[in-house]
Amino acid sequence: MSFREKVVSGRFVITAEVAPPRGTDWKPVIKAIEPLKGKVDAFNVTDCQRSMVRMAPLPMAKLLLDSGYEPVLQLTCRDKNRIALQSELMGAYALGIENVCLMTGDFTTLGDQPDAKPVFDLDSVQLIETASRLNRGQLLNGKELRGGVDLFIGAVYNPFAGPEILQIWKLEKKVKAGARFIQTQPIYDIRLAEEVSRLIYSLGAVPIVGILPIKSLKMANFMKRLNPTSVPDSLIRGLESSLDPAAYGWEFALDVARACLDFSGGIHFMLVGKVQELANFIDSVKEQRDYNDKF
Amino acid sequence: MVTVKLKPLDEIIRSLSGFKRVYIIGCQLGSARCKNGGLREAYRIAGYLELKGFKVVGVKSPGGTCVLERLDHSAKSLLKEAQESAEVILSLACGAGTQLIAENVSIPVKTGVTTLFIGSEREGRYFEEYCIACGDCVISDTGGICPVARCPKSLVNGPCGGAIAGKCEVDPNLPCIWYKIAQRMEQIGELKKLKNPVPPKDYSLSVYPRKLILEE
Repeated sequence: MSFREKVVSGRFVITAEVAPPRGTDWKPVIKAIEPLKGKVDAFNVTDCQRSMVRMAPLPMAKLLLDSGYEPVLQLTCRDKNRIALQSELMGAYALGIENVCLMTGDFTTLGDQPDAKPVFDLDSVQLIETASRLNRGQLLNGKELRGGVDLFIGAVYNPFAGPEILQIWKLEKKVKAGARFIQTQPIYDIRLAEEVSRLIYSLGAVPIVGILPIKSLKMANFMKRLNPTSVPDSLIRGLESSLDPAAYGWEFALDVARACLDFSGGIHFMLVGKVQELANFIDSVKEQRDYNDKF
Repeated sequence: MVTVKLKPLDEIIRSLSGFKRVYIIGCQLGSARCKNGGLREAYRIAGYLELKGFKVVGVKSPGGTCVLERLDHSAKSLLKEAQESAEVILSLACGAGTQLIAENVSIPVKTGVTTLFIGSEREGRYFEEYCIACGDCVISDTGGICPVARCPKSLVNGPCGGAIAGKCEVDPNLPCIWYKIAQRMEQIGELKKLKNPVPPKDYSLSVYPRKLILEE
């Protein structure tokens, strides 16, 4: 069953992140996720995440597809104007990539080439609307397509950003514009994950909760600097008192992931390393009889 | 106003090398307001240049160097005076003023400033970019506060996910302008208007060089 079929039919989905290489060495990237084959439903291919130059996500997504993995192509508004974005979406579909996750993107100056010219011709809401228009057989300017697309559109949501009401309205705009699944920023609090999932369902999309295991106190503090309210004190205290903080952070994140089975549409792992452990976790969850019908 | 910033002195001197007689033209509008190219700064630069062996033959700062009539009038022409007495003109006016000088004299024109932005002024020392002259003004719908100029991503449908604790992801010293817009819209009872999706902006309206021609 494809990622889209699962999401649409209400099954629980598991996605994970794949960053294209800095260079052309794509084979090790695919080799690294081999233990997740058949376990993770789809892999988000990031678009020069944090504004660091990497291989383009579209060819990487195609390489994943050819290697037997289903991709979710991430596209940002940072580097491409509406002409390039529409053309990229059509190109992706022609290559067999139907899942896309559309977002504004990190700002240029945060990356490793801060002197680049930022684009931001469209914003995330407008990009999603543009993709929906392509799905209806039209370009943004109304011209008919010769051969249409049928993209499965997703978007992102950060429950820690503000102002809260505007973030919720923007999420609502994204869903109204055509986003069918919403992948969130990492959440470490089960109650919040449930609240966010309920919100996304109520707007008419399927929530996929972001899971990012914390490896160390240093990483927790880094995350806290980025997003002060996202890392709960209990996690910090646990990391401080644990003899093996990496194991503690891992279990902490998996607890949230496991809980999501009860109230969310899926989980999205944003991690580097620990691929085998993740595969084992997915197996253990899928073996639980109670949850069997969810997958 | 248009704000400018004086270039480092050694850079100004480098651009004038090979010339002896210099005429300095500032501007009493933007450049003077932001204290980076008015009459006072023009005299200060003149003093430095004299110390470095240049001969400053004139210092003037019209009330609007980007207005041709202020530079070149049948009764009195600053440009004529400058090019008759100097080998080079050093302009401290914004990019518009400096170009207008250059287009109307035969001698070389160098700039002593970099033009920064269209901004506001507070307390005589805080200058902030408020407008990028996008040609398609939206501020009637955003509480009179411009997200196109004051959000680095020019987002018109609300804040991005990088707006954490009221700060912009681009610069932690920069407040996210969407907080201010929300506050203002609430104050004037228009908050709900921000629920409406905003279509893509027409960027053809900001394709330069633009013109404004008044009817006779």
